[in-house]
Amino acid sequence: MSAAEKIISIHNASKFFGSLKALYNVSLDIHTGEKVVIIGPSGSGKSTLLRSINRLETIDQGTITVDGKNIDAPGSDINALRMEMGMVFQSFNLFPHKTVLENLTMAPIKLKKIPRGQAEEQAMALLKKVGIEEKSGVYPVQLSGGQKQRVAIARALAMSPKIMLFDEPTSALDPEMIGEVLDVMVTLAKEGMTMAVVTHEMGFAREVADRIVFMDQGEILEIGTPEHFFERPEHPRLKKFLSQIL
Amino acid sequence: MAEKHVVIDVGDGAALPRKRDRGLFNAWWIALIGALSIITYLCITRPDPYWRVLKFLPDGILVTFQVTILSILLALVLGLFTGLGRISKNRVINLIASTYVEVVRGIPLLVQLFYIYFALGQVFANLPDSNALFIFLKNMPPLVAAVIAMGICYGAYMGEVFRAGIESIDHGQTEAARSLGFSRTQTMFYVILPQAWRTILPPVGNEFIALLKDSSLVSILAVSDILRRGREFASVTFNYFETYTMVALVYLVITLLLSKVVSTMEERLNYYERR
Repeated sequence: MSAAEKIISIHNASKFFGSLKALYNVSLDIHTGEKVVIIGPSGSGKSTLLRSINRLETIDQGTITVDGKNIDAPGSDINALRMEMGMVFQSFNLFPHKTVLENLTMAPIKLKKIPRGQAEEQAMALLKKVGIEEKSGVYPVQLSGGQKQRVAIARALAMSPKIMLFDEPTSALDPEMIGEVLDVMVTLAKEGMTMAVVTHEMGFAREVADRIVFMDQGEILEIGTPEHFFERPEHPRLKKFLSQIL
Repeated sequence: MAEKHVVIDVGDGAALPRKRDRGLFNAWWIALIGALSIITYLCITRPDPYWRVLKFLPDGILVTFQVTILSILLALVLGLFTGLGRISKNRVINLIASTYVEVVRGIPLLVQLFYIYFALGQVFANLPDSNALFIFLKNMPPLVAAVIAMGICYGAYMGEVFRAGIESIDHGQTEAARSLGFSRTQTMFYVILPQAWRTILPPVGNEFIALLKDSSLVSILAVSDILRRGREFASVTFNYFETYTMVALVYLVITLLLSKVVSTMEERLNYYERR
């Protein structure tokens, strides 16, 4: 793929908590339309890496560019850059004081100045897509975990982002609700959305990922296709990790 | 998760009756019905002086509400900025807000009232008549001085209420809003403060009731509130016992009714928590 198609470019990113290396010399490019799944044991820095991309975490060294713009540059408008990146959290973080529909329309109306009627129309279409349009008028407290996460995905999509970042989207869910959220993510992937996903769902990684990234102790140890990853893992720590979870 | 609900107990206001607190709830009814019965009984059996006192007080009730409402509005504005200042990452702003809170909380309200009206009044008296502001300050009405002093005092307490209310909201809410592209300020006003209100409102209600009671201090500045009207009546008729009995009962009825209003508003604000 050519350099022009890179939407995210992470170059030698490092982040330290005291002497702990949260990220160490991490370099990763994500291309338009690509689905990158990041795996690794807890504390490996995979969430930190994902959160660094939209600057919920700041890196101490290295550069991260989004759509060709350095997110840490003094003049960069991080709010404008974040509008191009949808983020889905482990703990959903829906706005509890807003209805489901308002959760989706708030950012487009306030930030993109889209007329309310149009924003609601788009929101309803997105809710239909995630299979939850009948809940548009309720408050998040009335939803199940799986429903909340589907609304959270729809809320991020409502800003028409160029890339979706998923930070362990199914880790807080009861087992029977994981499938409904993964289904939405698979559909999204098939539609060509660019995605970076931190997850423990190996089935999802195998089915959807173009490339899988394995991280441990703040470093990227291996990058490869699902086939390479599951059939011919190379790094000893990856082999050990896979043997523990599969 | 955002569903956690922190209750701030400031503890210097009137008790808010809750249905699940049977003891307090019953006590509220006993106090209210008792106070109203005593007022009615006294006014019927001894209209002179009780009914005469009661007729003399309404002007003062209006002034008390005027002082209380203006002061609480000033305190809310100061409190919002103080609360935001106290959580600010800007060290200078943080220090200014924290110092304001520390200084104001360390000086009794009555001293602050005296300071603004009499001490600063003396300073203002020497100002030249060169502009409208100076002329206003030189002739500052006692009511304005009272509102400024009470607003500044309660603003410091309110600042702590706002700070605690804002900090009670899960950090994930901020992250979700920021990740959508909301600025820090937009996040505060669209996402955090609307949720913080339900944590902030009960202590603000308590502060409002406490402020209403403390407003009796302004009678010293010759503001004709409930207590001042009572004093005026008593000093003419020498009916001290009867007058101050009525004054106390009127304050009691007002604060009891207000505590009911506050708790009702509190329940309304929890609409989105209902399943």
